[in-house]
Amino acid sequence: MENKSRKKRKSRGDIIFDTIVTLVMIGIVLMCLYPFYLAVIMSFNEGIDAQRGGIYLLPRMFTLDNYAKLFRDGAWGRAFVVTVARTVVGTFMTVFFTLFVAYGLSYKELVFRKAYYSFFIFAMYFSGGVIPYYILLRSLHLLNTFWVYVVPGCLSLFYIVVATSFFQDVPKELAESARLDGAGEFTIFRKIILPISKPLMATIAIFTSVGHWNAWYESAFFVTDKKLRTMGYLMIAVINSSKASTSAADAGMQATATTTTLSIQLAAMVVAVLPILCVYPYFQKYFVTGMTVGAVKS
Amino acid sequence: MKERVKAKRAGNGCLKLFWKQRYLQLFVLAGIAYILIFNYVPMVGLIIGFKDYKITSGLQGMFTSEWVGLKYFKEFFTDYKFPELMRNTLVLSILKLIFSFPIPIIFAVMLNEVKNKKAKKFIQTVSYLPYFVSWVIVAGLLRILASDTGIINDILMSLHLTSHPLELLTSPKYFTAVAVLTAIWKDTGWWAIVFLAAITGIDPTLYEAAEMDGATRIQRIRFITIPCIAGTVTVVLIMALGNLLGGGLSGSNFEQCYLLGNQGNMAVSDIIQTYVMRIGLSNGRYSFATAVGMFQSVISVTLVFISNFISKKISGNGLF
Repeated sequence: MENKSRKKRKSRGDIIFDTIVTLVMIGIVLMCLYPFYLAVIMSFNEGIDAQRGGIYLLPRMFTLDNYAKLFRDGAWGRAFVVTVARTVVGTFMTVFFTLFVAYGLSYKELVFRKAYYSFFIFAMYFSGGVIPYYILLRSLHLLNTFWVYVVPGCLSLFYIVVATSFFQDVPKELAESARLDGAGEFTIFRKIILPISKPLMATIAIFTSVGHWNAWYESAFFVTDKKLRTMGYLMIAVINSSKASTSAADAGMQATATTTTLSIQLAAMVVAVLPILCVYPYFQKYFVTGMTVGAVKS
Repeated sequence: MKERVKAKRAGNGCLKLFWKQRYLQLFVLAGIAYILIFNYVPMVGLIIGFKDYKITSGLQGMFTSEWVGLKYFKEFFTDYKFPELMRNTLVLSILKLIFSFPIPIIFAVMLNEVKNKKAKKFIQTVSYLPYFVSWVIVAGLLRILASDTGIINDILMSLHLTSHPLELLTSPKYFTAVAVLTAIWKDTGWWAIVFLAAITGIDPTLYEAAEMDGATRIQRIRFITIPCIAGTVTVVLIMALGNLLGGGLSGSNFEQCYLLGNQGNMAVSDIIQTYVMRIGLSNGRYSFATAVGMFQSVISVTLVFISNFISKKISGNGLF
């Protein structure tokens, strides 16, 4: 098919069409990549010099000072550890709790199954808003603790829906025969269900971990302890100078001879984006499936 | 334990079954308990919008505090900030819907016309990279791209579109445009995935037949691709409409306004959601902020129901 059309002489309309498509696509690729590239080269440029502008393709005054300053800075180091901890603990909790609940919910003879399901779906569409939520977190003594990062949201309603339909497609005989052999539900879940749900686990883990890695909201509104700041929060400090003064001081980011708060921030941004950049293309098949399943379901 | 006794006494089939599947029930009930606390308690907590709630009274205070009726709603409607907040919220939301909704569709249709499979995959992978970085990073990138000495101003000046650098990040004149454009930048690739999946599902014989009949590529797009993905477009549009005030498909209004908003552009970047956070958490006016937030929720819920109703009329299936 492709060969045939290639043999055919392209019409003038086709050539114009292809040219436009190609140009637009090149434009889109550039627009998506260039901002990141610029951040990288500017993070390797002296901060004071970068303020003059005019850096487009390569660093003008190459330096590693921004990274040196970033890695030596106690606040950024601590924020890095908190962010990693949050990502690992939070992802682990969400994946297992969500699959756990979804497995129970996928059992077709489960008493009250419909009611449970509606209970979850309703919560997906309606929420109480941020103030009552804040009061709840306060009453549970979650404010200003590490747990406020990982406990709320450790059950994903969206993935309960996705996982439940995934488990329903698992042949019933698998679990039934194990049940006849006297295996408990926990054993079945661990030995049979988890091993076959690897693609699903990967999908949930990718989305959840990217979410945790990027998160700044809880750190900005639910935490005042400087020791619990995440990287996302420290970055806000510099982005918005009007809100920055206090938090920039928190982060201990004083400009030195060559660095500026912005240039150190750029180094931090590169560090923050790098893991995402390395990971996301490889997991494409998982999240594309996850998303299309989700879109169809909802 | 209670269940076992009951099941034995009543001999009720349902309870017997419940007891038989008690571990599975336990799995689900753990989830139910969790959602009850983290989702349903705050929903009930909305009542403080009609009460004089004091934060020192804790969770019980939600129920014991004094009723004040619609006091805080009235206060908000007569607040001098009300027209401005409404206008900002609506303008931003509607512009984002109008401009950022069609672009992923156009992009998906065009990407589908790229015949080289490797190039197509590469473009698609690159296009949704922005979706995976946070708004904090986007705001940081803007700091270097859109500053006085940044590349955007350099380009505008070299094209003689402006004689002096524009205050893209601090002037109220540009905030909305910057917000809409960054939303497009961040979400286009991601939402194109859904539309591209729909396009991939189209029967290839349709295109072959059209080609035989001498249809041009534009005609094939116009008469095959577009009609075939119309259903998907409708569903996604309804989802976007339901979250109109949150910022459409990806619900980014709050993050954008909080992270890109500053003293300079506050006249247009202050929306209901940022106001709720400021007045509630910073000023400690919990009941008032809850009432303001509830006002937006009521509009949103109404929009969800309206769009779901329309969806059922048009396509025969709603979201719920």
